[in-house]
Order: sequence, then C-alpha cells, then structure tokens
Amino acid sequence: MDTSTQSSEGLYYKILIGLLVLTAITFIQPSMFLTDYTVGAQMFIAVIKAWLIVMFYMHLKGEKLIGIFVLSTLAIVAVFFTIVGLDVTSFQYQDISPITKEAVHAVSHH
Amino acid sequence: MSAHFEEEYVVAPDGTEHKVQAWQNDTDAGKLGFWLFMFTEVMMFGAMFLSLTYYFTLHTQDFFAASHGLNRVLGGTNTVILLISALTMGLGLVKMKKGDIKTAKLMIWATIFLALLFLGIKAVEWTAEYHHGIFLGLPNLQAGTEHYIGHGQTLFFGMYFTMTGLHGFHILIGVGIMLWLLKRINSGKVTPEHNILHFNITLYWDLVHLIWVFVFPLFYMIGAGDVTGGAVHGH
Repeated sequence: MDTSTQSSEGLYYKILIGLLVLTAITFIQPSMFLTDYTVGAQMFIAVIKAWLIVMFYMHLKGEKLIGIFVLSTLAIVAVFFTIVGLDVTSFQYQDISPITKEAVHAVSHH
Repeated sequence: MSAHFEEEYVVAPDGTEHKVQAWQNDTDAGKLGFWLFMFTEVMMFGAMFLSLTYYFTLHTQDFFAASHGLNRVLGGTNTVILLISALTMGLGLVKMKKGDIKTAKLMIWATIFLALLFLGIKAVEWTAEYHHGIFLGLPNLQAGTEHYIGHGQTLFFGMYFTMTGLHGFHILIGVGIMLWLLKRINSGKVTPEHNILHFNITLYWDLVHLIWVFVFPLFYMIGAGDVTGGAVHGH
C-alpha cells in the first residue's frame, strides 16, 4: 500500500482515539481488573499501543522490507534478553554483587 | 525501489567537468537509512529496559513501593501531551504532502510547543522529587546515611532518572531538529515533492513517543493502586 494513502488525516484521528482509550485503560487497570497481574497487563496494553504507533503513525503497514528489518531487530533484542536471562538465573556472585539482596543484607549486618 | 536519478556534473580543481550519477529524491533509501539509525536507538533503550527488568526481578517489592510514590497525574499528563504531539507531527506531514505548507509549519510549531510543555512538566516533577530528597547524589539515595531509602528503591530511582533523563534529552534533540526542519522548509529545501526530511523527523518523533509508551507504565503504573501484584509499602 502506498504510504500517502495510509497517512490520511482521518486515520490519524482514529488511531489517536484508540491510543487515548488504551491510555485510559492503563490508568484504571491497577484498581479495576487483573490487579494481581499489573505488570503483565500494563505491558500487554503498551504492546498494543506500540503496534498501533508502528503500523499506522510510522507507516510500517505495507512496508515489507523495513518490516522484515524491524522484526529482525526485535529478534536480536529478544536474543539479548534471553541470554542475559539465562545468565542471571545462574548468577554465581550473589554474596558479593552490589545489586543483590544477599549483598545488601551482608552490608547492613556489619 | 522507485529511485529517480539524474546526471550531475562536478568540477575538478583543474576546471574539467566530470559527469556523476547523483541520486535525488530517493525516498526508499532515505527511509531505510533512518530506520537503521532508529534500530541503534532500540538497541540502546533495549539494554536499559533489560537492566530495569533484571533489577525488578531482584527487588520486586521495592520497585512497587518506589513506583507508588511517583506523581501519576504529571506522568499521565505527559503521556497525553506526547500522544497529541505525535498527531500534530503526523498531520503536519500529511499537510506538507498535500501542498499546504502553512498548516504543515503550524503543526510543527504545535509539536514544538507540546514538546516544551512535556519538558516543563518533567522539570516540575524532578524539582518536587528533589525537594523530597529523591534525586541522584542526595543522601537518601546513599547507603549508610540516616534516611537511606534502601538498595532496591535506589536502583529504581537510578533507572528512573537515567531513562526519563535520556528520553527528555531525545525530546530536546527533537525540538532542535524540528526547528531545523522549519528552516529547511522556509528556504524551500523541503517541499511537498521532496519531503523525506519531514518524513524522517516525524518518524523520529514517533520513536520518542514509542519509548515513552513503555517507560510510563514500567515506572509510574506498576505501583499504582493497592494491588497485590504491586504491594505498597511505607506510603
């Protein structure tokens, strides 16, 4: 699809309304629903907002080549997250690292 | 690729002319190049979000407690401001493509105003936090001092000031390049037919908005309400 046809004013206003509604849901969610899963719910809403912005405001809808590039980048970021996640689950320096609870407790007991 | 190119001539120091092939109005390459730049931004902020996620898993309850103390009204206001500014910037581009340069410039000025409003509100917020003793370098965030808020909350506020600060810096850069865009429009170098600069700056502004879409809930909303998923302590 040609980018000029996507970027009509009406579409911009429709996406704005969608984003405003999602922002309102962001505000009411912690006290209204899924209150035990606030972080997950907030991230889910954020991903929907991001999808709307990337597809329509950033004109990625119909951009095959750049779309593949964006997905590739997200995949690389996901690889970083996974490797770091695997690394920190077997962290060997809990007692001396300045970022862990164990080291904080050790300092406070001295 | 729909590149349009024409022959151009360059003059050597000895006066001889050489025919070169110059690429004009190659919007595909322009877009692709700017997306490559934006990927580096995603990588940079991605590393920060990764650190934030890791610290959150280590000090979950402290992060909920620290988040609860942030001003959600100001943070939320800034969210809406940025949202509307993305609209004004996008509409500016639509107007430029349609040949309505006057309205396009007006929309860019509106975006600049909203960007400065965002920074003003952020400044008010940071000032209030400073007066509450929460700021980088203040005793409350220093281990061993009387009013130390604890290691987990210190990590939260360290990430908060770093990430919102870097985001604010991007807003400031955005204002600068929008002023440059206005200058280019005024000098006739950005026109309805040659609008790739306008297009890319609009993309940049959407990226700044996109980053805030994740920054806002991760800092402001995870500790909102009296939630078991975000147990509130000491506030």
